[in-house]
Amino acid sequence: MNIFWSFTRQAFHNTAIYRFEYWLQLVSAFLMMYSVYWIWNILYTQRPGAFGVELGQMVTYGVIAMALESIFNPGQGPQMYISSQIKSGSIDTDLIKPLDFHLHMLAKNFGEISFRFGTIVLPAALIGFLFLDLQPPATALNGLSFAVSLTLGYLVLFSLNFLLGMVSVLTIDIRSIAWTYNSLVRFFAGQMVPLWLFPGWLGGLANVLPFKCIYSIPLSIYIGKLTGAAVWEGLLFQAVWVVVLMAVCRLVWAGVHSKLVVQGG
Amino acid sequence: MESLRIYLKLIRISMQSRMQYRADFVIGIISVLVLNAVNLGLIGILVSRFNSLHGWTVWDMVFLYSLFVLGHSIYSLFFWHFNQMDDYIIRGTFDQFLVRPVSPFIQFIGREIQYIGFGDVIVGLASFSMAYTHLELHWGVGMWLFFAVVVLSGTVVEMAIRWIVACTAFWTGRSVALTFVMNRFNLLVQQYPIDVFGTWFRVVVTLIPIAFMNYYPSLILLGKTEHGWSWLGLVSPVVALLTLFIAAIVWRLALRRYASSGS
Amino acid sequence: MIRVEHLVKEYKQSKRKDGPFSAIRTLFSADFVVKRAVNDISFTIDEGELVGYIGPNGAGKSTSIKMLTGILVPTSGIVEVNGIVPYKNRKEHARQIGVVFGQKTQLWWDVPVIDSLRLLKDIYKVPDALYKRNLDLFCDLIELHQFQNTPVRQLSLGQRMRADLAAALIHSPKILFLDEPTIGVDVVAKDRLRTFIKEINRDQKVTVLLTTHDMGDIEKLCSRMMIIDRGEVIYDGDIELIRRKYGEYRTLVVQFERPIADFDVAGAELVKSEGTKKWFRFNRNEASPSELITQIGARFPITDLTVEEPEIEEMVRSIYEGKSVDAKVV
Repeated sequence: MNIFWSFTRQAFHNTAIYRFEYWLQLVSAFLMMYSVYWIWNILYTQRPGAFGVELGQMVTYGVIAMALESIFNPGQGPQMYISSQIKSGSIDTDLIKPLDFHLHMLAKNFGEISFRFGTIVLPAALIGFLFLDLQPPATALNGLSFAVSLTLGYLVLFSLNFLLGMVSVLTIDIRSIAWTYNSLVRFFAGQMVPLWLFPGWLGGLANVLPFKCIYSIPLSIYIGKLTGAAVWEGLLFQAVWVVVLMAVCRLVWAGVHSKLVVQGG
Repeated sequence: MESLRIYLKLIRISMQSRMQYRADFVIGIISVLVLNAVNLGLIGILVSRFNSLHGWTVWDMVFLYSLFVLGHSIYSLFFWHFNQMDDYIIRGTFDQFLVRPVSPFIQFIGREIQYIGFGDVIVGLASFSMAYTHLELHWGVGMWLFFAVVVLSGTVVEMAIRWIVACTAFWTGRSVALTFVMNRFNLLVQQYPIDVFGTWFRVVVTLIPIAFMNYYPSLILLGKTEHGWSWLGLVSPVVALLTLFIAAIVWRLALRRYASSGS
Repeated sequence: MIRVEHLVKEYKQSKRKDGPFSAIRTLFSADFVVKRAVNDISFTIDEGELVGYIGPNGAGKSTSIKMLTGILVPTSGIVEVNGIVPYKNRKEHARQIGVVFGQKTQLWWDVPVIDSLRLLKDIYKVPDALYKRNLDLFCDLIELHQFQNTPVRQLSLGQRMRADLAAALIHSPKILFLDEPTIGVDVVAKDRLRTFIKEINRDQKVTVLLTTHDMGDIEKLCSRMMIIDRGEVIYDGDIELIRRKYGEYRTLVVQFERPIADFDVAGAELVKSEGTKKWFRFNRNEASPSELITQIGARFPITDLTVEEPEIEEMVRSIYEGKSVDAKVV
């Protein structure tokens, strides 16, 4: 646990060093929130109450999704760290540390994300409440479930990112894959367009993939699109994916680890 | 002209280098195609569910998108590595540009060529021709000429903005965050007609001036002249040159800064 | 050839905040400290000299090289190389110098060496005849032809350094700046690089300024050396003197089976003792390692042995402390 906190603190420092970057990130988060606010307002003047969701709910969904994207964006996740370590050959230094690599990555990333959540998402949300008609959670229970659901969603995202990082072991440049991966995650997670707008088969596909754990489930809980038993179903769906993906991560890492050891990095 | 000759030689060697990584090339192109398909898919779902967005139909929006991607494709072929300027500075690779008797700018832009841009060319041409057919546009020679100029202006605008963004790395050490903000602006302007976003946003993207890459010109190309500001599309080329001029000045300042800090 | 007077270079560095909520406070403001990397140094180097420029890490070596090559502008003072002020006339200066940064190649990573050279020929506008003459010279001296068609990323480190030297010399510069030209290279390849540098200096009358961490480079190549520490030149003069004082000392590190009390050995001085290890300093002209080993081995069982050459850091420290150096200390 001590190790965990020291990583978190280190991450705090690394993130805080670049002051200029911080303000830019906040500005850019607000920019995206602002734009999505307008898009839904315009679309809803054309068709009020579309698909059983009120404008206020829809705006809340869209705005929070944008705020979250500024910290969930995989530009900074574990995959980037892993790929750069592998490229430079310094992955060895991670292997000789007396730490479980997978948990080490989780601690490191969680530290960064928590810091960014506090310094970017919370201020952005505050701005949202003041200027962009952001609503509080539908009910107190929904709010609480949202917190749990968001954490589970984060773990799913972390696992997927970690697996993408493993791809870089094949000594492929993962940068271009990362863009595509990023856009696929956002698409199937309902980050911009909620899954209930997806036509037929595409909606069916999006509903079984793990991506919806990241944005769609937590946000649907928040705005009250999901209530009662549906909330529990959503959380269960997430929990199952977390367990499955964590297991896959450990398996893949075990394989990669032995490969790295054999090759000597 | 001497610079151009050296630039072409540099580009040739960069192409040769890129050829060594065929797997990355193929994956890169596929990535770009998927990425664009996803973006277009989002627009498609959203707008078709609501029939239109602020008077823009699905095909209007595909046209808007294609105009951006066409300009962007040339940029991403030749200038994409502006995004990596901070890397050159951090690793000290930039030093070598300063101990050779050719301008550092020429050496820098000649350093890489990004084949992935071909993916954008494909997407741009495909989506443009689909939109052109569906919208039943019938342009005369003048319109086609204007179109060509506008695409090139788009390239210049994006290149100049990215150049300025890259220069900030000389002061801050990293330009990742600013690059990230630009990517997001790009994404918005690429996908949505900016009249959706209210007045002050329009002012911002007019000043920055990414709205000149696709939005203003497409008002003219699509005959959406009911907006009082559609004439701005005509000045796209002027704006492009002006931005390029500003970028060149910022670059000079950045070089001066590098010479005094060297980090 | 090179004239440096009262050269100063200062950097502004941002400082991390300490104390509670330091990370958060850093988001709002930053502290700066001014660091003097080069502090009032002066020297001149004549045409055809081969000068070693040494000092510990962060002493200001790279900063001064960067000012001499025109990458950095000095905060104050004068730099003049062959009549040109490097930072004022960068392009013209670039034509008369060659630069090798040992840590990173200047060649195009993925293409054959010869393609890089051909490109540099265009960049420096080297006439065909001169280009051909230089290539022949490189083939003679460093066997360029053996690896000229290999992409740089596939070269051994020694070959890569040779290729980098060739690239720095393709336009026949008057002055050559070498920053750690032998770093990481094995002994045989090192020797070859040194011979090449020496020949270029002697036959082509190229003035060479080289920084290094390897005393061997200095001993084999230079007649003069400058030692820089904390931004100041603390020694400028004959290599012979330093060599007599320090270069002939070696340290024998002996690992014993078990910890033992300190003892004296004829011809060597016990300088350090730690656990089962002991360090003996000896002058290699007065004692031979084999004698010492026999002597020590006869008394205690030895498990491991190494002979260490004096490190630059150590020498600099002794000089700095004014320990027995009667040379001109600047």
